[in-house]
Amino acid sequence: MNEQPLHHLDTLRARQPRFRGLESGHRACQGCGEALAARLTTEAAGPDVIVANATGCLEVFTTPWPQSAWRLPWIHSVFGNVAAVAAGMEAALKQQGRATQVLAFAGDGGTFDIGFQALSGMMERGHDVLFVCFDNEAYMNTGVQRSGSTPHAAMTTTSPPGELRMGKRHMKKDILSIIAAHHIPYAATASVAYPSDLRKKVRRAMDTEGASFLQIHSPCPLGWGHDGAKTIEVARLAVQTGLFPIIEMERGELIGTLPIREPRPVSDYLKLQNRFRHLFASDYRARKELEHLQAIANRNIERFELRGVGPESYDTEGADTVHRGGDRWA
Amino acid sequence: MIQIPPGAFARPGTSLEFKTGTWRVERPVHHRRAAPCHSACPAGEDAQAYLAKVELGDMRGAWETLVSANPLPAITGRVCHHPCESACNRAHYDESITIHGVERFLGDEALRQGWSYPVPIPSADAPRMAVVGSGPAGLAAAYHLLRGGCRVTLIEAMPAAGGTVRTAIPHYRLPPEILEQELDHLLALPGIDFRPRTRLGRDVSLEELRADHEALFLGPGRRKGREWSADFAVPGNLRTGLQLLEAWVAGGALPEQPRSVAIVGGGNTAVDLARVLRREGVEHVHLISHQRVPAPDVPADDAMRATYREVSQALEEGVTIHEHRGVRRLILRGERVVGMELVHMKKLVDANGRLRRVAFEGTETVLHVDQVIPAIGQDVDGLGFESLVRRGYMEVEPWWGSVKGESGIFSGGDARSDHGTVSEAVGDGRRAAIAMLRYRGGKTLEPGAPPEPIPYSDLNLSYFEPAPASKEPVLPPEQRLGLEEIEGGLQANAVRHEAHRCLSCGDCLACDNCWTLCPDQSVLKTREVAADGSHYVFDYDYCKGCGICAHECPTGYIRMVPE
Repeated sequence: MNEQPLHHLDTLRARQPRFRGLESGHRACQGCGEALAARLTTEAAGPDVIVANATGCLEVFTTPWPQSAWRLPWIHSVFGNVAAVAAGMEAALKQQGRATQVLAFAGDGGTFDIGFQALSGMMERGHDVLFVCFDNEAYMNTGVQRSGSTPHAAMTTTSPPGELRMGKRHMKKDILSIIAAHHIPYAATASVAYPSDLRKKVRRAMDTEGASFLQIHSPCPLGWGHDGAKTIEVARLAVQTGLFPIIEMERGELIGTLPIREPRPVSDYLKLQNRFRHLFASDYRARKELEHLQAIANRNIERFELRGVGPESYDTEGADTVHRGGDRWA
Repeated sequence: MIQIPPGAFARPGTSLEFKTGTWRVERPVHHRRAAPCHSACPAGEDAQAYLAKVELGDMRGAWETLVSANPLPAITGRVCHHPCESACNRAHYDESITIHGVERFLGDEALRQGWSYPVPIPSADAPRMAVVGSGPAGLAAAYHLLRGGCRVTLIEAMPAAGGTVRTAIPHYRLPPEILEQELDHLLALPGIDFRPRTRLGRDVSLEELRADHEALFLGPGRRKGREWSADFAVPGNLRTGLQLLEAWVAGGALPEQPRSVAIVGGGNTAVDLARVLRREGVEHVHLISHQRVPAPDVPADDAMRATYREVSQALEEGVTIHEHRGVRRLILRGERVVGMELVHMKKLVDANGRLRRVAFEGTETVLHVDQVIPAIGQDVDGLGFESLVRRGYMEVEPWWGSVKGESGIFSGGDARSDHGTVSEAVGDGRRAAIAMLRYRGGKTLEPGAPPEPIPYSDLNLSYFEPAPASKEPVLPPEQRLGLEEIEGGLQANAVRHEAHRCLSCGDCLACDNCWTLCPDQSVLKTREVAADGSHYVFDYDYCKGCGICAHECPTGYIRMVPE
């Protein structure tokens, strides 16, 4: 062979057969689901994109000045206005007649709570922006405070379980219904446990004219209290139990789901995480909340008709099947 | 660190200056581990390795991998009881891979296509080794000695090679043309000096062989029928099961035509003979065994020493098996057998912790038969090497087969007390050949053992899909009258389907999972196969040691080790 030695890592890194939007050396924790989600998203979206990034973990761990882990144009907005910044960039690019696509990245805080009105305005005005919500279900960057996205009964530093309540008192905000009410051309959910599905949805959203929205379930080992090695397993179980439905919507109507082949009990998902540990105590309140979460999962399965009718290549078991040679991940 | 003016920008990708690898407390490493099929194969085949090649469409490469352990796959693919499939991890998931079907297909394909064994031609001054007996053990020893660069003198007392495979395996299990083709293919290798009709102790002496060769392998098999040490009257003209079976395999006929026969014994010879008698029109064939029909839930020391598949086919063909039964006496009219008295028997652990056969009084029954055939086993016929045979067997070191108390003499196959299958014989021959080469090089032999298999729990099953196993066509019992082979082979597409089902236990699938799921872009994909046989390298400058790659590796090929 007349090639350079393959184990020269710099050469090898430069020759990876995929776009590296998010490079090594970022400061995310071990096993960070959000870092993986951002890597997969930019891989599918890049390179001709501009990213606006709300304040949050993703912003902090990728860009400690003067270094950047991004290999694409990237701008940091404040916590609440990433959709407005992205909308402005999109309008300017349109004015210049350029085809560069705009992405807005935010955590669940920057989507469900603080950034919500800017997001709503962006969708209402129909900007051709893909808004990606990296949903790790709490304010992780500032130390695990509960957000509108934190699931019911989860422990955070501001929703500790105790005598008065069992973790978060309220429900996880039904963001999908709110997004649906904007009648945007494309909205979807995805999970890091199903990377092919995730990348397919990013590409689909990029091809869509007008505003699109993608919510990616991204486990946080530190905030959720699980082993970093189990990030994918936890994410997969969230889908297999029905607690995180994988769906697609067009103009607010449900057009597709990732069917669940054999729903798993929610306890399989919950018991891997410290934030739900109090649900496994042997008392009435714990049993009640555990059943409550099971009922929420059952309700999701009913609402989106997630139950599969038999083994399919696109369902919770078939969608992550691997083959020798890796063609599955294309 | 590069200097840039103060301001709100940073250059893309500069995070590479920050080596997050320093955070790591554990590192992922590629770690090839033996698949259970490999550990369980008595011949030492690595089925996982050849299934991987089959899946890539490289049939010849797969066959070459297969024959790097076992030169007789067309034979063993038919007659082996495939412990690989009992061990297969996929059995816990849905069904085992039909490994024997793939082995047989590759063996047949090599004969059809005339693929040549990947063996070097030995030089004229290559070391000379001697192999006595050309059964599967001797053939495997000769073949692996050739692979090690030796010349081999292979002597055989009979007119043709094959040993028990030729003389005692019925044609409906192993068609003679397959046997001939594969043996011819092997014996045609340059470097094997095959001398049929040459008997140790008659035509050549052990001393002569030792003088002309650097080491010696003895694969005499077991050919001397054991005396039926019965404390009751036995007709004088009794013929043993092996004699009758060999007569039938050689000529396809039996000397007598009784209406009902009892075979005493529970080994493969007894079962084969029972099936032969059914084919020859004997109406009632009884098999008397003090053990039970082998089945997955029957403990090994209470199961007949016969292959489960053969026993179940015998039952399908109408053989009656009397389990846990022993013979109390024969009922004779003059010299003629008219029946036998049976008694319930079982092996129990006695006061000394040894298994002892116990007959239960009051459970006697009478079975009316016209003929009784003892098939209670054979001993080594030690002509020419009498001093090496102890209690009817060769006593050897269990892994390398060196004969106890001798130097430069190795043995294996049926001659061992603990081995009795073709695949075990092939494995004995292979390991003995390795030992002979080491012996010649003056190296000492460490005790060996099969590789530790990767357990099912170390695989990540989320990434596989259920798929039913391909089954070979089997002749229905009512059509099993003649010599026609009972089990057919798998078609090429079924063979590829099986390869596709393989979980690749302990070996890289190149599935891209680690590359896809690393949050830190620290798994790099290589264009060619990397040095360790995978398709990926870890960039430890940035790997934080989170362990996702190891946890999500479908095949258990990545493991985390402390820094």
